Amino acid sequence: MRVLVVEDDPKMAALLRRGLVEEGHGADVARTGDDAIWMAQAVEYDAIVLDLMLPGRDGFEVCRQLRADGIWSPVLMLTARDAVEDRVAGLDAGADDYLRKPFSFAELLARLRALVRRGSAERPAVVEVGDLRLDPATRQVWRGETEIKLSAKEFNLLEAFMHRSEQVLSRDRLLEHAWDFAYEPRSNVVDVYVRYLREKIDRPFGRASLETVRGLGYRLRTDG
Amino acid sequence: MSPLPIRVRLSLAFAAAMALLLAALGSFLYLQLRSSLDKQLGATLQAQADAAAAGSLVEKEESVAQLLGPDGRVIRGFDAPLEPPATHERFEDRHVAGLDDNPYRLLVVPVEGGRTIVVGASLEDRDEALAGLLAAFLVGGPIALALSTLLGYLLAGALLRPVENMRRRAAEISTETTGQKLPLPHARDEIFRLGSTLNEMLARLEAGIARERRFVADASHELRTPLALLRTELELARRRPRAPEELRAALDSAAEEVDRLTRLAEDLLVLARVDEGQLPLRQEPIPVKDLLETVADRFSEKIEVGAADGDSIVGDRLRLEQALGNLLDNARRHGAGTIRLEAERKQDRVELRVSDQGPGFPPELLPRAFDRFTRGDEARERGGTGLGLAIVAAVAKAHGGRARAAGSTVTIELPG
Repeated sequence: MRVLVVEDDPKMAALLRRGLVEEGHGADVARTGDDAIWMAQAVEYDAIVLDLMLPGRDGFEVCRQLRADGIWSPVLMLTARDAVEDRVAGLDAGADDYLRKPFSFAELLARLRALVRRGSAERPAVVEVGDLRLDPATRQVWRGETEIKLSAKEFNLLEAFMHRSEQVLSRDRLLEHAWDFAYEPRSNVVDVYVRYLREKIDRPFGRASLETVRGLGYRLRTDG
Repeated sequence: MSPLPIRVRLSLAFAAAMALLLAALGSFLYLQLRSSLDKQLGATLQAQADAAAAGSLVEKEESVAQLLGPDGRVIRGFDAPLEPPATHERFEDRHVAGLDDNPYRLLVVPVEGGRTIVVGASLEDRDEALAGLLAAFLVGGPIALALSTLLGYLLAGALLRPVENMRRRAAEISTETTGQKLPLPHARDEIFRLGSTLNEMLARLEAGIARERRFVADASHELRTPLALLRTELELARRRPRAPEELRAALDSAAEEVDRLTRLAEDLLVLARVDEGQLPLRQEPIPVKDLLETVADRFSEKIEVGAADGDSIVGDRLRLEQALGNLLDNARRHGAGTIRLEAERKQDRVELRVSDQGPGFPPELLPRAFDRFTRGDEARERGGTGLGLAIVAAVAKAHGGRARAAGSTVTIELPG
């Protein structure tokens, strides 16, 4: 695999590079966030090892920028800080895994292998369908620039739709994703909540993105 | 410490004061009414007696009048002699046989010829009025007392509610919660002032805790970085058979990190001692020029030393050397051009200055220059612990002086 090491400490960067190369991988080093973004745009890396403490833009910002630029290489964050907030912020910024310094090099390699197995499909931290945007971390939803207030159930249902836009989703599938086993066994609960959702995400904006597919279920349209 | 809640204590005190007030008011009204009724009765009897002396002895309803001869016999008026002949004017309250059951007030007046006029009036109306007033107070007083105490209790509750609200919130505040404030009442009263003072204290404590946490986080970061390097270096060296040169390079690199950790540990220890209280100082007179030259000699770079011969200060030589060494090390690593180390005596103090010809501190760094683990982005190169200037400031403070930075010059001011 080909790995980009983003680390401002020259000694650490050299060590990581040497270790990776000795294992037979390709490794490039970026000293700053800007270099990292530029290099990741030029080469499709299999994985990026990203240190959190960087001069200028820190690791969080670099990770967000990479994702915003459509670079989906798996990111393993590396940091000497271990506050829970840092880990949460890192993962929510779009990182895929997190490793604390000092780390075992064998573990770093194993985690990189696991990340590469998962591949570099698009997996944005903030989901977008058309001009609908949904942030699972803050549980916020926007249509364009307007924030929409949703109840917990409505949010879960919309999240289920947004992760599968353009697909026809049966009531059973929607129940599976947005409700748990404790849901009220009312046959029309999905229809009721779809109606609520339309009242909030479609009607005020004069849209019709949530479509009824007769006999099959519902579909969230990208262009609706 | 009374076990009763303030609200009850306030209400009880209020009730006691109210009872006292009501009793005093009642007594005052009672005595006032009695004296006014007595005065009125006295005036009526006097008028009656005057009229009798003038010759018209009148007996109205519920009143009695008679004229007695010097021997005590009744000359005119009420049949039975009411009083013996008198020599001076006096009042007398008693029952009169042959009249109704009520007590009477009699006025006995001696008149010329040894005769005596006795007039009397029933006390029934007066006694009834007084008894009525007394009854009104005995019934109304406790009711008024009960009502006012209840009102006081409710009022005390309303006044103390903000205190209870503050107490409940305070019980929830811990070092884990951030930005918590006590709820303040709307009225800008003493409780509001107490609450805002406590809130200011909370803000100060929180800032202190935040500073502490940041320091611990920074310290752990600074400790973990060399540890991570050590571990990775050693792990890589052991992963496969290595040539002797490779192993030597790995050991050199590891030794470098151990040095860095040692420096960091020493700096942290000095600062921990500062935090515990005073940095222990071994004060002694130090020749300034000698001090500066000793520090400058430790560096291989050319350092210009400027100090007057024969001048000396009192201080801890080891600590001052450490502080000046930190400043020279900073200038060597981040500055440019010639480094100057100077001492200058001002009226009441001695200034030790380290300057170079580089660009100096970035302006945004200046306010935090002496804080722990403050470093410019480009200055986060290897070697420094981020604690050098913090130690300079601590040493200056322990000597009763201070440290300040401006441009590419750092000055330690010492008293003396």
